[in-house]
Amino acid sequence: MKKRFKKGNILIENVIFIVLTLFFLTILILFVVSKMGSAAVLEEKYAKQIALIIDSSKPDMIMVLTMEDVFEKAEKENFDFSKVVSIQENVVNVKLREGAGYSYSFFNNIEIDNIYQDGNKYVFSIGGYK
Amino acid sequence: MNRGQKNCSASSAKNSCFPKNRRGTDKIMSVYWFVILFIVTGAVVYMVGVFYGNPYDVREVEANVLINHIADCVAEGGYLNKEVIDDEGKFLLNNDNFMDVCNLNFNVEDFKRWQEQEQYYVEVKVFGIAKGNINLKLDCDKEGKNFPVCVERSFYVLDEKGKSYEIKILSVVRKTEKNVQ
Repeated sequence: MKKRFKKGNILIENVIFIVLTLFFLTILILFVVSKMGSAAVLEEKYAKQIALIIDSSKPDMIMVLTMEDVFEKAEKENFDFSKVVSIQENVVNVKLREGAGYSYSFFNNIEIDNIYQDGNKYVFSIGGYK
Repeated sequence: MNRGQKNCSASSAKNSCFPKNRRGTDKIMSVYWFVILFIVTGAVVYMVGVFYGNPYDVREVEANVLINHIADCVAEGGYLNKEVIDDEGKFLLNNDNFMDVCNLNFNVEDFKRWQEQEQYYVEVKVFGIAKGNINLKLDCDKEGKNFPVCVERSFYVLDEKGKSYEIKILSVVRKTEKNVQ
């Protein structure tokens, strides 16, 4: 009887040990994933990307940018898709939640005729030089 | 049997190969394992924090795009544009009309007093053009992330008479606060 009790004890200890280890690793993975797709990181990434795209653009171009991860995030935050990207003068602003968002300026003195959302893409219609 | 070797085959408890305090060793092992787990977790959390906490540094790309933009403005297909040189070989591009001719706008967002000092500097040597914040050029020879990024590139072009010119363009982008932590 004594021997039986000992074996069971070892099994429980091992199970607890494995469960704790898995719990620890799960939290770690969740932390990494949450950091990777955080709204602040996405706002910065896309604001800079859009500013550089506009810097490289020429008159009458149409730029299409796939922003699937942004729309997923905006949906989670219950934020209106059409308000995600805005351009005022020569500053791009990307906003995925209520707040100021992230802004980045571009040096190309070009007119942005239209910006609109098309599915999971954003379309930038470039006009002529100002 | 060699000296010091235990008799494992003997059935008596006195000569057993397993240490009597085995369970104690197991406990020490699991504490040791958790210590390692904490260290690894701490390191991963720190690295992820540092990696995603640092902003994307796009200044070098931006400086290169600026050079491309100016190069497209000055020359096309290996020849100087008519807007920058007349038929007699006189340069039309100068410091006063450079921003308009090349469609540049160095205004920036209102962030940490950026509007008080310009964040760009551009030099086009043949034309004697220098636009933007000239103080940024002083930091070009310094190394370190907190200094502005300077990129210089050059190319050769011809005018209508076949005379060649070397166009050297220096572009400097500061915007340190949004590109470096």
